[in-house]
Amino acid sequence: MTKFIEAQADTWEIGGKTLNSRLLIGSALYPSPANMEEAIKISGAQIVTVSLRRQAAGDTTSKGGNQFWDIIKSIGIEVLPNTAGSHSAKEAITTAQMAREVFGTNWVKLEVIGDQYNLQPDPFETVKAAEILIKEGFEVFPYTTDDLVVAKRLADVGCKIIMPWGSMIGSGKGLMNPDNLLAIRKQFPELKLIIDAGIGKPSHATQAMELGYDGVLLNSAIALAQDPVKMADAFRVSVEAGRLGYEAGVMKEREFASPSTPTVGTPFWHQFKD
Amino acid sequence: MIEVIVNGKRTKISSGLNIKEAITALEYKGEGFALALNGTFVAISTYETTIVRENDSIEILAPVQGG
Repeated sequence: MTKFIEAQADTWEIGGKTLNSRLLIGSALYPSPANMEEAIKISGAQIVTVSLRRQAAGDTTSKGGNQFWDIIKSIGIEVLPNTAGSHSAKEAITTAQMAREVFGTNWVKLEVIGDQYNLQPDPFETVKAAEILIKEGFEVFPYTTDDLVVAKRLADVGCKIIMPWGSMIGSGKGLMNPDNLLAIRKQFPELKLIIDAGIGKPSHATQAMELGYDGVLLNSAIALAQDPVKMADAFRVSVEAGRLGYEAGVMKEREFASPSTPTVGTPFWHQFKD
Repeated sequence: MIEVIVNGKRTKISSGLNIKEAITALEYKGEGFALALNGTFVAISTYETTIVRENDSIEILAPVQGG
């Protein structure tokens, strides 16, 4: 059975890279750097999100870097820098430019927060930043809501990847509006779509993949699990299961019961009545 | 001396320094960071031609964990 699944394992392309895993993993909130490293490896993810923050003066460790960055480099995984903390297109663009220099990649997870309470992305600033970054040669992975029109605007300015939220960042509530997510999938079959944020359980990831999404990006669900390494393995399996289920074609729902066991030849059929 | 803001904190450096000299004066060493001046990215290639002025705001960022 394992050989069969391996044979079915698909490859896909995103941002000019060919990958095997459809799970994108975050690098924050783990109990320790060693735990993060093990979880990333077990997850099978080939893309990890990273960020930039103020560096203290006099930090001379590791060529001006740090233990975290050394670990990520040693894993040999694609990095996807985010613009977390940005509240305007200008802030996000500057952060993206800085990230490109530090991380040596033109990939950027574009995050422009519009509301501090629910960390909902600002659609207007996100679209504005995406348009400028694409013109500057970035491969933009925009974090957005499940709003179809915003997705359309992002596609209009050249985004080839769109990352709608499942629900609020770090909430673990899963897919709040699967119908909206499905509508985006159906409207943009040519785009790479990744559910980003809100995933709490492996079953949420499976559900996202069953909708036909190309990938799932999550962090808290693994890092905040009681056993992050085991949860990383669970998400690896759940994403694969959801993708296989999508490719296999899910049966149509029915309004009424329908027996799966053949009724022809049923013994004692209506022969004995009280 | 001039006063500048480095990662949100006011500090003093010699006047007339370019970015490369200012970074050294501020004891930032190595290459694993990027810099913005007054909210605008400054590429390494332009450090030596960019002069730091009074009340400039310098942001120096390095890799951290992210989601």
